Amino acid sequence: MEQLILKDFGEVVKTVTFRVRRYDPEKDDAPRYEEYRVPVQKGMTVLDGILYIKEHIDHTLSARYSCRMGICGSCGMIINGKERLACQTQILELGKDLIKVDPMGNYEVVKDLVPDLSKLFRNHQNVKPFIIRDEEEPKGEYLQTPGQRERYAMFTDCILCGLCLSACPTSASDELYLGPQALAQGFRYIADNRDLGFEERLNVLDSKHGVWRCHFSGACSEVCPKGVDPALAIQLLRQVMTTNVFVRFKQKGTETGPERKSVSGVS
Amino acid sequence: MRESQIMFLQYMTGLLILVFGSFHFLLISVLSPSPQKVLYIYSGINASHILVGGTLYYTWVKAVYSSLIWGSVFELLLTFLVYHVFNGFRVILSEIIPGGRAEKAITYILFIAGLIVFIWGTRTVVIGLGGGF
Ligand code: SF4
Ligand code: FES
Repeated sequence: MEQLILKDFGEVVKTVTFRVRRYDPEKDDAPRYEEYRVPVQKGMTVLDGILYIKEHIDHTLSARYSCRMGICGSCGMIINGKERLACQTQILELGKDLIKVDPMGNYEVVKDLVPDLSKLFRNHQNVKPFIIRDEEEPKGEYLQTPGQRERYAMFTDCILCGLCLSACPTSASDELYLGPQALAQGFRYIADNRDLGFEERLNVLDSKHGVWRCHFSGACSEVCPKGVDPALAIQLLRQVMTTNVFVRFKQKGTETGPERKSVSGVS
Repeated sequence: MRESQIMFLQYMTGLLILVFGSFHFLLISVLSPSPQKVLYIYSGINASHILVGGTLYYTWVKAVYSSLIWGSVFELLLTFLVYHVFNGFRVILSEIIPGGRAEKAITYILFIAGLIVFIWGTRTVVIGLGGGF
């Protein structure tokens, strides 16, 4: 039967067991694990496996996803003990017959594999993840050389999947810790030569639950699916903060280029 | 005080504890008189004790504590230790019990506890400097 369902899509290589953590806080007293047998084709991802379960075995299983190509950052979960994007994790590459799937850690669970990411977004918002300038309206382009962009380029790749915060041991014990994602974004904007918001971000980044609470475990960088290195950003941020103890860190803010008209002629 | 200033001092005191702790260690090992050189007999009311092991040699300890240089070393070591230890506790506890009144209470309690230890330690150093053991 399983083979029939998939026959049009490719050859079934083997059948694996998915052990999925199920929990509905509104109905269940405690989380439990349920097992499902899933036929696997070449190229099938863990997300495909979960969707197979949902379509063919148990439609009450909940998971969050959108792009299915590692871009939107929706499908983060713990797969065989490690934080990963389900849509980027090939079942066959895991090399196991048992696939254990848990929701991300350090977040409340909305249902089954769907975490409540409010904390991640709140922390992200708190570091003011945008260019801050003195002038109300930009008069022209803010100029930047490729070298200046290089200083923070890696950190712009963050897709806000929240895997780093799930893996972070400090976030596990300190509910108020900003977390690797927000700290990395704090550095991303401070290091941007167009930005003037260092002072405004200081209260959050240099707070009791900010950059100094990192324990150098490096778990965040280990699990990041986009190759962002939040642990590095945290160390660079500490460097800036330490310099600031002696000499006030001053951002110059880039010059603006010549005034420009848009294509439609409206400036 | 900003957390960066507090933590900068935390790292600096950590380093200084290593330096001043080494002085202290030198004092009680290499610099102290050897048992061969020292044989001090203390006669109590009912007993007599022989203190060998140079570190505990009474007049040596007394001489060290009444020296201004060593007294300053001890006082500085005490200052660095108290800061490092109590701020370290604050950091650990504020991570386990984050936020709100509990965190504030932890900070105040540890500040007062640190102050008491510092005053008590300073008292010992001052008494030692006055030769009053
Ligand atoms: S830094 Fe990496 S792991 Fe963390 S939210 Fe961004 S993309 Fe995800
Ligand atoms: S579904 Fe978009 S990253 Fe996985």
